Amino acid sequence: MGPMNRRAILSSIAAAAFALSLGGCVGRHVHPRPGQLTLGMVTDVGGLGDKSFNDSAYNGLLRSRADLDAYIKVLQSKSAADYQPNLTVLSEARFNMIYAIGFLMGDDLQQVAHQFPQQNYAIIDDVVPAPNIISVTFKEEDGSFLAGALAAMVSKTKHVAFIGGMDIPLIRKFEAGYEAGVRQIDPSVKVDVKYAGSFDDVATGKELANLLFNGGADIIYTAAGKVGLGAIDAARTRPQGYYIIGVDNDQDAVAPGKVLTSMVKHVDIAVFDIAKGIQTGHPPHGHVVLGLKDRGISLTDFKYTRSAISSAQLQTLDTLRKAIIAGKITVPYTREALATWKPANL
Amino acid sequence: MSSAGGALIVTLLTLTLIKSTPIIYAALGGVISERSGVVNIGLEGMMIGGAFTAVLFSGMTGSPVIGIIAGIAAGALLGFILGFAATVFKVDQIVAGTGINLVAAGGAAYALTLIYNQPGASPQVSALGNNFWILVAIAFACAALLHGVLYFTPWGLRVRACGENPRAVHDAGLHPLRLRLYAVILSGALAGLGGAFLSIGEVNIYSDGMTAGRGFIALAAVIFGRWTPWGATGAAIFFGFFEALQYVLQGHISWLPADAMQALPYVAALFAIAGLVGKVRAPAADGIPY
Repeated sequence: MGPMNRRAILSSIAAAAFALSLGGCVGRHVHPRPGQLTLGMVTDVGGLGDKSFNDSAYNGLLRSRADLDAYIKVLQSKSAADYQPNLTVLSEARFNMIYAIGFLMGDDLQQVAHQFPQQNYAIIDDVVPAPNIISVTFKEEDGSFLAGALAAMVSKTKHVAFIGGMDIPLIRKFEAGYEAGVRQIDPSVKVDVKYAGSFDDVATGKELANLLFNGGADIIYTAAGKVGLGAIDAARTRPQGYYIIGVDNDQDAVAPGKVLTSMVKHVDIAVFDIAKGIQTGHPPHGHVVLGLKDRGISLTDFKYTRSAISSAQLQTLDTLRKAIIAGKITVPYTREALATWKPANL
Repeated sequence: MSSAGGALIVTLLTLTLIKSTPIIYAALGGVISERSGVVNIGLEGMMIGGAFTAVLFSGMTGSPVIGIIAGIAAGALLGFILGFAATVFKVDQIVAGTGINLVAAGGAAYALTLIYNQPGASPQVSALGNNFWILVAIAFACAALLHGVLYFTPWGLRVRACGENPRAVHDAGLHPLRLRLYAVILSGALAGLGGAFLSIGEVNIYSDGMTAGRGFIALAAVIFGRWTPWGATGAAIFFGFFEALQYVLQGHISWLPADAMQALPYVAALFAIAGLVGKVRAPAADGIPY
């Protein structure tokens, strides 16, 4: 390799590195037309490509661009230190709506929103009380209730389990809803609960899943981030009849036939609905709670596991879903509420 | 004893072995490095390097064995970097080791986006499956081997001498810096193997943060085990046991929250170090550049 050649390669690497350092801007580099709906978004550290939260939000933006002809701009955050600068950059550019994705951004958003009182913001998964912020949270307990009901019906051993990431209120919503769902179907079904103490420790997820499977459980619901991937791997290497219920995004295809269903949070729908509300002149305000009714929360449609579920069971699941929407079932979202919770008579 | 009690003990011991293995590998790496006089705070980073590279090569070749070998090599390479910095450049070892941890974590995260175009976690690759038990057994073989090498070979004596008095080693006509470099490379290889055990031994992916501080637990195991291979192995099993115990007990002691349970291994270690181990003495020249 000649020296010129090497220099060319070096300079192209440098150029690539420079381009990457500039990165963070996704979307078309055009300016919005006058009157066009403008939407900005700041991802959390998960970033685009996480096949979860941020990607889901981005899908909502893409849909807004396609259906509402919106101008969109996304800034990605490489670390928590990027939240405020990213939010400020978008705020100075003035958008009809700026989305902050994830509860990690709550404090930063509050400060920035205070500096730009004319700008409207929306935050997902956190409640930030400010006149110019829409807070969007999800009723994870309702979806978890359906997951628990399904697990109780499908379990052959009458023994199911739950793996949480960290023992924090957000995750206890999943736990309480799930246990209530199990109790609604059959109070005699045993529920084991374990916490990994992490959202990243994949190996521990597998160890815990094996521990629970060996202890007699045949279905495990995970609300533990990437720890859940280890649990799915534990089910993958077992014979038919052991299942994981995935969470947040559709994990059914990670191990087809081993993930009974996934309890999905539709951040995309939340993002799109707000955009649509702005365009039609009726934007939501304050605290928006999305649940089964608005399909902000749903179970995936058993693409690979339909044969494990009878039609009567699907019917029951649908009845429960409608009962929650109709308010006939109030799903507990804390352990205290679960302790005194009684199955509803339907 | 009831059969349920027997099953519980089998479960507990199995989980203890699995939990201990990656810590044993990294702790053995810590022992050889520190006995030569180099504090290896970069064990965590070397585990990350091993875990990621193992997945990368297993994915490319379809052979988890090649993946494991690549993981060992990646750890050794990071060991070489630390060793080179610690010997030739006489960099502060804590700073260099911290640098290794940061570079490995950041590098793996960046490589995930670059190679697989998906941040956070790699795609699934072929893994050892149930053969991972072989690596559990090899961990103990490594402990025996390292014990033999350190205490019954001339090279082992020289390495230990490096950690106590490198000047004397030099005066004996040997090369303390070279000995240290080799020891740290070996250290990295062992930690890399521990990381590979996590990624394609136990599961079949690499995921950011999956080492979850095991390299630092290993560092504690080195001290707890008084800088000896069997001591560190025992300490790793001690940590593994209490970690397994807390997972097994969770849900059975309702008044104790999961968070408190998760502190169990560390509380146990505090008590053990305070009460049982007595006075510990590091190699005299540990952490001091020569």
